[in-house]
Amino acid sequence: MREHIQACKVHSHPGVVFFHFELLSRLASSEPEVKLRALREVKNQIIGNRTKKLSFLKLGAVPAVAGILADSADGVIDKNNCNNNINNILVQSAAALGSFACGFDAGVQAVLDAGAFPNLLRLLANSNEKVVDAGARALRMIYQSKLAPKYDLLQQKNMDFLISVLNSENENVSGLGASIITHSCQTSLEQKALLDAGILEKLVSLLEGGSLSQRDASLESLATIFRNNSEVVSKFVGPEIGRSLSSVIDLAKDRHPRTRLLACMCLIVIRNTSPQLLQNIGIKTKLIHILLELLDDPGQVGDEAPFALSSLIAQKEDLQKLALEANAIDKLQYHLQRGLLHPRRHEGILLALADMCSKLESCRSKFLSLQALNLVADALTNDSADIRTAACTCLKSITRSIKNLSAGYFMNEMIVIPLVQLFLDPSTSVQVAALGALSNIVVDFTTRKSIFVQCGGIRQLVQLARSMEPAVRSNALWALKNFVFLADNRLKEGVFSELTASLLSSLICDPEPSVQEQALALVRNLVDGCMNSVEFVFADDGLILGAVGRQLQRASKPEIGIQGMYALCNVASGNEFHKEAVMHQLFPQMVDKNQSFMIKFLQSNESQLRTAAVWTIVNLTCPSSPGAYGRLVKLRNAGIISQIKKLENDPCVDVKLRAKTVQGHSEAFGVQPLLEHQTS
Amino acid sequence: MPVRVAENSVPSQVSGTNSEHTSPPACTLLSVGQAFSGTQNVSSLQKEEAWRVNVRIQGCDLEHGYLCGTMEALNVPMADTPVVTFWEGEIVDTKNYTFNTGKWEATPDDDKRHWMKFQCFEPLLSQVEVDGGKSLNLSNYPYIFMRWKEQYFVNVGTDCGLTIAGFYYVCFSCSDGSINGYYYDPNSSPFQKLELKSTNEGRSGFSFSSYELQ
Amino acid sequence: MNKLVMNFLVTEGYVEAAEKFRMESGTEHRMAVKKAVQCGNVEDAIEKVNDLNPEILDTNPQLFFHLQQQRLIELIRNGKVEEALEFAQEELAPRGEENQSFLEELERTVALLAFEDVTNCPVGELMDISQRLKTASEVNAAILTSQSHEKDPKLPSLLKMLIWAQNQLDEKASYPRINDLSSATLDDPTV
Repeated sequence: MREHIQACKVHSHPGVVFFHFELLSRLASSEPEVKLRALREVKNQIIGNRTKKLSFLKLGAVPAVAGILADSADGVIDKNNCNNNINNILVQSAAALGSFACGFDAGVQAVLDAGAFPNLLRLLANSNEKVVDAGARALRMIYQSKLAPKYDLLQQKNMDFLISVLNSENENVSGLGASIITHSCQTSLEQKALLDAGILEKLVSLLEGGSLSQRDASLESLATIFRNNSEVVSKFVGPEIGRSLSSVIDLAKDRHPRTRLLACMCLIVIRNTSPQLLQNIGIKTKLIHILLELLDDPGQVGDEAPFALSSLIAQKEDLQKLALEANAIDKLQYHLQRGLLHPRRHEGILLALADMCSKLESCRSKFLSLQALNLVADALTNDSADIRTAACTCLKSITRSIKNLSAGYFMNEMIVIPLVQLFLDPSTSVQVAALGALSNIVVDFTTRKSIFVQCGGIRQLVQLARSMEPAVRSNALWALKNFVFLADNRLKEGVFSELTASLLSSLICDPEPSVQEQALALVRNLVDGCMNSVEFVFADDGLILGAVGRQLQRASKPEIGIQGMYALCNVASGNEFHKEAVMHQLFPQMVDKNQSFMIKFLQSNESQLRTAAVWTIVNLTCPSSPGAYGRLVKLRNAGIISQIKKLENDPCVDVKLRAKTVQGHSEAFGVQPLLEHQTS
Repeated sequence: MPVRVAENSVPSQVSGTNSEHTSPPACTLLSVGQAFSGTQNVSSLQKEEAWRVNVRIQGCDLEHGYLCGTMEALNVPMADTPVVTFWEGEIVDTKNYTFNTGKWEATPDDDKRHWMKFQCFEPLLSQVEVDGGKSLNLSNYPYIFMRWKEQYFVNVGTDCGLTIAGFYYVCFSCSDGSINGYYYDPNSSPFQKLELKSTNEGRSGFSFSSYELQ
Repeated sequence: MNKLVMNFLVTEGYVEAAEKFRMESGTEHRMAVKKAVQCGNVEDAIEKVNDLNPEILDTNPQLFFHLQQQRLIELIRNGKVEEALEFAQEELAPRGEENQSFLEELERTVALLAFEDVTNCPVGELMDISQRLKTASEVNAAILTSQSHEKDPKLPSLLKMLIWAQNQLDEKASYPRINDLSSATLDDPTV
């Protein structure tokens, strides 16, 4: 049976197309009656029917209908024609245009291109209520698309118009006002302008006394005006408007699912904007329960509910804990395993699970205990790029479990192979997300890293390290860095021979700071472990070591200094030759007039950078190595030893203890720090 | 033999109950990738046994007072291979965890008897007896107290004849990276001592790897 | 105000009064739509809904699908096999592509064509009059929602709010007050 229906999905047969064509020709009729009937027919054909919208769109129906609207609005049609007919034509053409624009971006674009927008606006001033309704509805459809023209809220005359629209008795017109706000208000300046114009009070009155659609529209606009603007929020909860917050809370229990969702979203925006509000545990729990319940809604509300849940719990451990107690993971997993999901819902559920599992191990073990991992792995190969990204994001959260990483739980074909395939995904955001998940998975302490090597993962990562996209380069290096962490020398050699000294040194000097940081961190891990691995930085006449030194000289952020310094520190833990090579980087001949970066790092505000710098000196001066005395003298002459002496009272215990170790080394050789004036 | 830096200052107390607690120092010698080796004495009435032990830190999440890694016991009697276990640690940071164990069959009395084995715990004792140490600020103390609990065997089955029922009271010295610990299991011989030193795989100095989870 | 009064009458069970009031307001449209579905004139019902408010079917894919499905059922009932097949392909198959659960329902409905005696086949319940009633009540609910009829009548709560507001004002100012709620005339403040 399924085969049969699938076979039926061939495109409209010629007869149908002809019928559509014939219908369009009737639209052009000079007989108002014929025209009106044709308009109505077009409208009834396309409402609710995406396929027909598209096919009429292709036949040029939108400009035809828009033309009729324009003519009728101008009153060009036969003057003798009775008013009633003109109004009917206006209503039908506006309704048809509204339907073309409903949930269908190509339709919105066509309606805008056909110049219908200003004519629809004119309908709002019509004396016939039905015409006004139809015009307002069509405009609202347009404003629900991101393609709608942005309304400049900072112009006084626009604001005056908006207020008059919001004040309208007609619920479609006032709803339109709210839609305009939702669509157009983006900056805090615009939010402030709306606040100053008294829009907040107007929206509150729609919230409390309006019809269902007015309430919904008002909730949506309120959330838009609140977003990240604590000033507006505080006004809303303040004494002047008073009870409105509790009105929104009441609406979160409304019997209409869409109203509940919008009220929840409004409350979430309020909470995320002003974290001190809505701290009451009862409200938090209630929100979670309502959103989980809304997941059961079969329509759009259920599709959006997981996104709202995400924004409620993202980055908030306390809410993730409450959601866990409310069985959020079980419920999300239940919906995920049911299959046949709308793509939007599928994406939302994966993202909600990602947020649930982002911080708490208890959430991750709950997720893993439900055997939900394979459902996420399946989604890695979904047709929708958004779903693939969401699946990677979810995987990224789950693989933060060190306990399971240590057990090698994620390093298996079911996950690694599809992830590696996503490296070649046409969408950059999928690539970046896949690399993110993989970065975690390759932190594997068992010997299973071979699975990743066998499926060509290393070669692919090195390819991506050459990507034009900085985020891809940086994440590819991140994954390589994690991969070589504590890896045996054989694996490191595999990585290095793919990567080559010249590519790695050019990545160290990449224009993008985040790429520099990851490249240096990769060097740091490469040269750790067995002594032989230090040699990597000496390949090709020390190309990499030179690059590290140069990058440290001009390090633009502390993170780059930290990784580079640890790379040098690790080299300095090698043999005499290695230590002398590090000394050479600290004091390159040409720049001896400049202050060494070592002094700069020792004075840094970043305790981690000071720690890394002092450790390097600890390694260079360790008394068991033969050249330690010579190096100590050289470091002293450069003022470094006296700089370290100052760190013996460092607020950071780690720095303080290491500084004392260096001091111990100096004392062992009888090398005293120079006084300030003795340094060159 | 590394020299232990004497540090006699008593940690300051946090005044007031609502003040922000701070984590212990992020000590580089206790960071991910660091390795330790030493012995565990399995004292029994008949003879003194000592297993060689290697430890590797695999994960560290100071915000949650969490540390984890593996422990490898060599020359274990009746085992043909070294036995590797995965352990998870609670860092006594007075925010996530206090000196009170409150589980694993450890009574407050057991806690006290074990913590008292560490010399550097003495200055803290009086406050710990008052409030379990909740008001102590350990962020500048050069020792880190922990409990390590083995979670699973990595390379052998549960039928290997060994038990991981107990847990370790652990004290880490930030200055030289040495670790002392006592195994506690009401059903095993008491006060089995763990002694570990920071190792560096034949290098002349210290090296530090790191990974970051996304 | 129309809505408020009707809302009160309907939710409080004043059926007769509501009936009378309805004739003057928009409620008869909803009844007409419901009736059309109940009689099997689904196309007529769809057109009526679209005249009432084009958003209802444009934003409610499930309801739209059920109405189209009902149309298909009526075609089958009337023995118009050719037309039914064409309708299933043209109108319903694309909806099945958009939503997998629609596809399953569609398959069930098309299965009616495979049986000689549709009323006694495994999917025969689709031919039942109760299927029409189910669809009709779904349309009815959607129209009601779009006209936002409330579970709780609004009039009492508005009156309560008025009394509350006047009590608040009483302490602060003298103002034209509504003393008789049934006539709602503003009485001048006594100075």
